[in-house]
Amino acid sequence: MTSGFPGREPTPSEVPGRSVPPRAVDSSEWPAGEEACPTGAIRADLKRIDLGKCVFCRRCSSAGFEFDEGGERLRAALMARLAAADPQELAKKQRVFKKSLHVLMIDVGSCNACNLEVLNLASPYYDLTRLGIFFTNSPKHADALVVVGALNRSMVDVLKRTYESMPEPKLVISAGACAISGGVFQGTESFVSPVAGVIPVDVVIPGCPPSPVQILEGLLLATGRSAKEAASP
Amino acid sequence: MIPKYVERKQVEEVGGSVQLSSVFQASGRSYALLSDTANNRTILSDLPPKLGEEFGVLLRGGETRPGSPVDLDLGGRVEGYGVFTFPYGPVTYGVPEAGGFKFVTYGERVVKVIPQINFKKRGVETKVLGWDPEDALLLVERSAGNFSASYSACFLNAVEDSLGLEVPSQAKWTRAVAIELERIYNHLYAFGRLAEAASQNVATAQANILREDVLRLNARHFGHRYLFGANRLGGVRADISKAERKDLSDSVRAVVKEFRGLVEFFLSSRIFLDRLQNTARLPREEALALGAVGPAARGSGVQWDDRLTYPIEPYGDIYVNMETDPGEDTMARTMVRIQEIYSSEVILRELLDRMPGDGTATQAAGTGRLNADDFSFCRIESPSGDLIQVVQLDGQGRVRSLHVRPASLVNWLPFARSMETCVFTDFQFAFESFGLSYADSDR
Amino acid sequence: MIAAGALSGLVVALFAAFAAGIGVGPVSKKAAYALGVAGSAVGVLLSLLVLVGGGSLTVKLWQVTPTTSAQLVVSPLSSYFLLISSLVWIGTCLYSVRYDDDYPSTLSSLLLLTVVSMALILLSGDGITFLVGWETMTIASFFMILEGKGNRDGVRNAAFLFLAFGVGSSVFIMLAFAGLFSSAGSFDFLGPAAPAAVGPIASWIFVTALVGFGLKMGIAPFHMSEWLPIAHSSAPSNASALLSATLTLMGVYGLITVVSHLGQYELWWGWLALVVGGVSALLGALFASVSEHTKGLPAYSTIENNGLIVVAIGAYLLASYYHLTLLADFAMIAALYHAFSHSVSKASLFLINGWVSKVKRSFDLNSSNEADERGSSPVRLAGALTVFSLAAVPPLAGFVSEWMILEVLFQSFRFGDLTSQIVGTLVGAVTALAAGIIVVAMTKVYGYGVLWSFSGRAREEESGKGAGARDLIGGSLLYFLALVVGVGVAAPAIFFLASDAASQLLQANVFGTFVTGLLGVPAGFVILSGSPFGGFSPTFTAVFMVGLLSVPFAITRLGGPWRTRRTKGWFAGAEPAGPAELYNSFGYSTPIRIMLRFLFRTKESVVRVGAVRRAVILSPEEYVVELEVLDVFKRFYDALSRWTLGLSAYVSRKAMPGKLGVYIIYIMLALVFVLLYVMATVG
Repeated sequence: MTSGFPGREPTPSEVPGRSVPPRAVDSSEWPAGEEACPTGAIRADLKRIDLGKCVFCRRCSSAGFEFDEGGERLRAALMARLAAADPQELAKKQRVFKKSLHVLMIDVGSCNACNLEVLNLASPYYDLTRLGIFFTNSPKHADALVVVGALNRSMVDVLKRTYESMPEPKLVISAGACAISGGVFQGTESFVSPVAGVIPVDVVIPGCPPSPVQILEGLLLATGRSAKEAASP
Repeated sequence: MIPKYVERKQVEEVGGSVQLSSVFQASGRSYALLSDTANNRTILSDLPPKLGEEFGVLLRGGETRPGSPVDLDLGGRVEGYGVFTFPYGPVTYGVPEAGGFKFVTYGERVVKVIPQINFKKRGVETKVLGWDPEDALLLVERSAGNFSASYSACFLNAVEDSLGLEVPSQAKWTRAVAIELERIYNHLYAFGRLAEAASQNVATAQANILREDVLRLNARHFGHRYLFGANRLGGVRADISKAERKDLSDSVRAVVKEFRGLVEFFLSSRIFLDRLQNTARLPREEALALGAVGPAARGSGVQWDDRLTYPIEPYGDIYVNMETDPGEDTMARTMVRIQEIYSSEVILRELLDRMPGDGTATQAAGTGRLNADDFSFCRIESPSGDLIQVVQLDGQGRVRSLHVRPASLVNWLPFARSMETCVFTDFQFAFESFGLSYADSDR
Repeated sequence: MIAAGALSGLVVALFAAFAAGIGVGPVSKKAAYALGVAGSAVGVLLSLLVLVGGGSLTVKLWQVTPTTSAQLVVSPLSSYFLLISSLVWIGTCLYSVRYDDDYPSTLSSLLLLTVVSMALILLSGDGITFLVGWETMTIASFFMILEGKGNRDGVRNAAFLFLAFGVGSSVFIMLAFAGLFSSAGSFDFLGPAAPAAVGPIASWIFVTALVGFGLKMGIAPFHMSEWLPIAHSSAPSNASALLSATLTLMGVYGLITVVSHLGQYELWWGWLALVVGGVSALLGALFASVSEHTKGLPAYSTIENNGLIVVAIGAYLLASYYHLTLLADFAMIAALYHAFSHSVSKASLFLINGWVSKVKRSFDLNSSNEADERGSSPVRLAGALTVFSLAAVPPLAGFVSEWMILEVLFQSFRFGDLTSQIVGTLVGAVTALAAGIIVVAMTKVYGYGVLWSFSGRAREEESGKGAGARDLIGGSLLYFLALVVGVGVAAPAIFFLASDAASQLLQANVFGTFVTGLLGVPAGFVILSGSPFGGFSPTFTAVFMVGLLSVPFAITRLGGPWRTRRTKGWFAGAEPAGPAELYNSFGYSTPIRIMLRFLFRTKESVVRVGAVRRAVILSPEEYVVELEVLDVFKRFYDALSRWTLGLSAYVSRKAMPGKLGVYIIYIMLALVFVLLYVMATVG
């Protein structure tokens, strides 16, 4: 029952339809689909999709974008990427956390879906302890901070305080479109900025919400064990 | 079609069978939404000034601007030697959300709890003003991710009512399928958290497995684990075929069968039951007086389930059993949830068996008669209870005002009352049994 | 052998210094305390000379009757107790020089009067001198308690209750002495050479002595006598230290001395002492853990420790009954050693708490102000090691003594019959429980007393008053710190002294039996229990621990790749607005109050004042919280004291119009006179 990831590729049930990023139907010609996107994730000028803003609503399917259901889709769904300003610094930290990582989740204004998906990692389906990753309840014990939600004005100080309370070295992981860019909540009255605007972020995990396997991939990426590396013994 | 329960009239006094359900402002005026429990009607009224004062706490919680936490205080000073206020949150594992509590205590014993909400108020209601309902839906369904199906169905029902859209029955029945699936996974979550709080690790793991099963069912049939985007204006996205219905029905039956075994195990564990029985008692009178809704109210013997009390299509046409328990404690609320998982399975089966085949989307979009400037509303029994949304559209069919009255918002005070005289370690049990969500109340 | 002349000279010097101090007190407090320190130093010298050099001294004061003379006796046993007391007195006097500015200067005279009467008790060779010392001590302490800063009625009631218990104690001691007198045929029954009492009269002596001295030691069910006067009067801290650390020590001394003059032990004495001691220890620990009074808490802890001493004496009696010589010897050494470790630790704790109360301007541990600052480094360090010792953390004195007592009780299986085995084992369990529970009290008194600070700032030393204040208060605390550590780490040396002291009871010096070498630890550094059963080397544990601790200390202090970064405390993301939003000391021990409600008679009530309106329940209400812990025995004594006060009011109205204090002195003098008269006629 427990996911074979990262040893095996994720299965379709682990990365369901709405976790897959859109792509242009005709890769040679970039469609003019900015209007269709409610969060401004489609960047025609850069000819790419800003996954950090994408909420996977599939409105762009009528504007020249498609959602590949083929074999490649599962790999494409592993969207986590490094965002650290200083890759060398990150590599240094990753050496420390290679074998064990204690994670604290902080909600700075989410809809609760990301929270549930992060907590879901503890369920037997994903069982993150098999990978040497553990949840902790206090920043004083935490190596990594998983931030979820659109940063709310009343949570800015709390987020800074939490980050400050963590011992060095520490990792910060933004999970979900809201934490990365504000998602659908960008522009609301209480939204301050992306999390990266307040504390340095090392890894981002796009998704709305990212599914547990996607979060897991992000955590492995943060510890320097990307899915590929972890697959080979 | 939404039955027209809305009546606009001036109510001078609230009493008898009439209960105040919500207070909101639209176009600079204050309105009260009242529930006439004797006649199963909802009354929209201008806000009587006196009522406004008395309803202060809820008004503050509901109407505050985003950006600063709000204390939902039942009122009353606490005096005594050694009394202190113990803040809990907003970053804890006990409540994996941004929200806090202040425990007034002399150590261990809780004299009073002051829930602190609005840590993550995003202001969806004000943000969507002037928006197309279709765009507004994106925000509304992300107000509370784990109640997404209820939120979107509630919002769409109200909007479609205003727009005069005729929505096919199949779409409405499909929405109900999503709502019931949502109820099952949320109740399973609550059960898992209760088991976790009692350190019943096997039960926790099993409840997590079952919840994940339901989430995967959601993804398979509605495209999204948390049912985002399942509903859309005038219909639903998913056209569940006959074969898929069978598959869904069977899968849910399998999950619930597993769950029955788990419940049997749970009911035989004295350690688990001890933590729930007599914990966080909410007497029926208090539940009524404080306006508790959902499983929290039904666990105190209050007969109130929107699926029966204020039914929308298709709940009027199918058999829904009111699951109540007179126990008034955490155990009673847990039993209500357990029974609701069972009854949701029955409802789901009936929904899927008898689902009409008239299509999943309205054929003639924009053909209805727009009810501009008039309030339309919808009440839906979300997993935590009565969810109300009041929508007002302008002449172009855009949102003029939106008011959301989540179930969690009204359940904070009953929860706070029930925690009085409990000890700290009862907190987790009380909290999870009420099914409170900050995302829900902070929307 | 030390020349008798030198010893006599020291005795004279000791009393002379104290007497001069008393006289000079009203004029100059500093001079009085300086003389007190000098007298105590003479006491240390005298007792060390006797203990190390051996021998004893008898000074006849005057011949009252042909068979009875008032005399001073310097024996190894009394020297041992004089050593403990003198060490405590030195620290207390040093501390007092700056501490009691707020109190009248007569306090110094009263304090030294108490001290000199204690010296008289310890050095008395006959019952009369002993009783004279005993009564003087009671009266002087009574007046010291009257100086307390609590509310007027509280202080008066506390002082009179102390007096009532003092009188009760005297009555029972007189009854015990009557027994000894009838057995010895003379009042000179306290010296080492006095004959032992045997037969039924011995049982009489034992029970009356246990009650009489138990009243002073504050063992159950008389524990009220210990905590109430100290807590309710909020007596000056130096007085409290004296009352709790050395006054109760006089009870221990008295009990052990009387036991040493009993020829044959009965089986049930051991049981009685074990049960009484075990119950005292447990009650003391429990009540200490729920006490919020800076003085009440240490006073309860004294009850616990004196209970432990009584337990050790009980074990000694039982083991002796079964002719388990080794075990009996070890138990007696344990009792003596515990008396030492407790006295120095407890005096230190009282003085630290005196500092805490002064800084907090409250005797309430629970009172917390935003401006509170944690103690300066000498206070923090002395406080930490003191509470570690009282909470039995190795290798400190408290651990060694508790280890010894438990070691004895774990050998209950050696006792000759099943009942004794069961009693011994059960009391062992209770003792261990008490030792565990007292940790709650000690962490609380240290955490909320010395360390508590909302801002996290440590206290800057007071300027202006001069470095003298700092040096003397800090210095006296460091003096105690050295004692607490020294008594533990140098346990074999204390063993040497205690063995010498116990030779009066044990008919042999048992030092060599218990202190040897083992497993590479050189001879003289390992303490072996009883038969042997277990062993422990405080010295080497200390060396080992210091060695281990110095590694991380060196790493953090001397640099390395690790940086030290200080952050604020973590309050689940919130920032507490003030002390009222932090867990307080009352809340810290409330779970115990709630869990043991049957024992504490905890009353818990939350009353909602104001009507709850239907439909809207958001109307303002008022909650009144009450959580009170009741000592079961307090009810009994309350009733008793009401009755007694009523009676005395009646008597004083009818028979003796005048000042009560004068009458008390008058009554005491009359008592002494009657005693002398009785002696004379009997003689």
